[in-house]
Amino acid sequence: MFGYVTPELPELKVREYQRFRALYCGLCHELGRRYGLRGRMILNYDFVFLAALLAGGEETCAYWLRRCPVHPLRRRCVCAASPALGAAADMSVILTYRKLEDGAEDSRGLKRLGFRLAGAFLRRAYHKAAAARPDFDETVRRELAALYGLEKAGCESLDATADKFAALLASAAEEAGEDARRPLHELLYHVGRIVYIADAWADLGEDFRKGEYNPVAARFGLTDGKPTDEAREAVLATLMGSDRLAAAAFELLPAGYWTPVTENIVYLGIPRMIREVLDGTYRVRKPGLPKEPERLTGGTESEP
Amino acid sequence: MTDPYKTLGIPQNASDEEVKRAYRELAKKYHPDNYVDNPLADLAQEKMKEINEAYDIITKSRKNAAGAQSGYSSGYSSGGSAYQGTGNYAAIRQAINQGNLQYAEQLLNACSARDAEWNFLMGSLNYKRGWLDDARSFFQRACAMDPGNMEYRQALQMASQMNAPYRQTGYGPPAGQGMDMCDMCTAMMCANMMCGGCGR
Repeated sequence: MFGYVTPELPELKVREYQRFRALYCGLCHELGRRYGLRGRMILNYDFVFLAALLAGGEETCAYWLRRCPVHPLRRRCVCAASPALGAAADMSVILTYRKLEDGAEDSRGLKRLGFRLAGAFLRRAYHKAAAARPDFDETVRRELAALYGLEKAGCESLDATADKFAALLASAAEEAGEDARRPLHELLYHVGRIVYIADAWADLGEDFRKGEYNPVAARFGLTDGKPTDEAREAVLATLMGSDRLAAAAFELLPAGYWTPVTENIVYLGIPRMIREVLDGTYRVRKPGLPKEPERLTGGTESEP
Repeated sequence: MTDPYKTLGIPQNASDEEVKRAYRELAKKYHPDNYVDNPLADLAQEKMKEINEAYDIITKSRKNAAGAQSGYSSGYSSGGSAYQGTGNYAAIRQAINQGNLQYAEQLLNACSARDAEWNFLMGSLNYKRGWLDDARSFFQRACAMDPGNMEYRQALQMASQMNAPYRQTGYGPPAGQGMDMCDMCTAMMCANMMCGGCGR
């Protein structure tokens, strides 16, 4: 479910890319400070976006020069510890752990064992994070329970299932400042919907093979794990509509140091992801800093 | 009152042309048409007010004369609401317009009829809470039951748009995927038409 919310890198100015990278490294270091190496393993792009949103209207960013195990040779600019990074780190631990637990409930055999092991691996970190943010932990527990209830019942409303995940993500807005809270809540709600529905679309084939519930299949009555053109058009309208609403909410957030990065994600990164997911060309972005471009914008790949 | 130049995001020494351009950009962004049926409409309206005030202050202080005109300040007030429908439907419309979605849902669920208007109102309710897929299904049903109704058709059209949010950002739209001005106009027109509908 993670790795869908990324910037459109070629459209970032170099200084904006450097900021994004420093925030990415900053979140990794924050996870390391709070939860050790285990915490660092769950780093993903979606929570970098959350950290940028929570840092919101700040007009500058303090940074440190640090080495890390992955980049031991050169010191890099990493964002210094901040409340926004702390919140993003805690929340990513809580959400990842809760999803692992639910995954274990849901599956059988070796896979279940895998979920259980991964859960055990994160348990200490989780208890620490949950103690720090009991409200968020409770919301995640409640909404995920409601979500799995709907999934078990084979819910046919795509919006009703997406609402649970969206509400869970939206509750992260509580960590933001007074003036940002309402628009941020709205923005995260729509982004949560997009992530949930896009993920369901991407999982269509796999869920069909395993005979598991899939919200998109249930909504459109797909019985062979293959999407119809009608479903594709409807989901495209839904997701782009949600992104337009996310953008409308985004414009009401206070502007600051991180605005160029978050703006890129909302206006370019997410629409690109939506198009790619729907035509089947999207690959979930694995954590790690992009070094080489995956393709040359406007160019065509050819043989030497 | 905060610095009006900061509100418009321009330096004190910006030219009149730059002031006007910044104002227009912002006014476009926070225009009520962009927040039709949006729960944040009040915040956008506040922003709009701030921008109008800032623009007024700057133009007035620059013209250094009483009664200086502010080109746009009165142009964007929202129109009055016109309720249609009878009995319960009027109350439901009102509840949706006021953002009292739970109450509207109760009333709708209590209705015995499942006619075109009921489907339209269910669609509006879902649209307002961001449940776009359900909203479109209800609008489709409303249109199928009453194909001649313009309000239903406009709502369906708005819920079926497939373009990404538009904003000049980065270095311009990525090759071959940008939204052209034509789409933009259509989007604005659709939004405009909805203004007369349930949202206002």
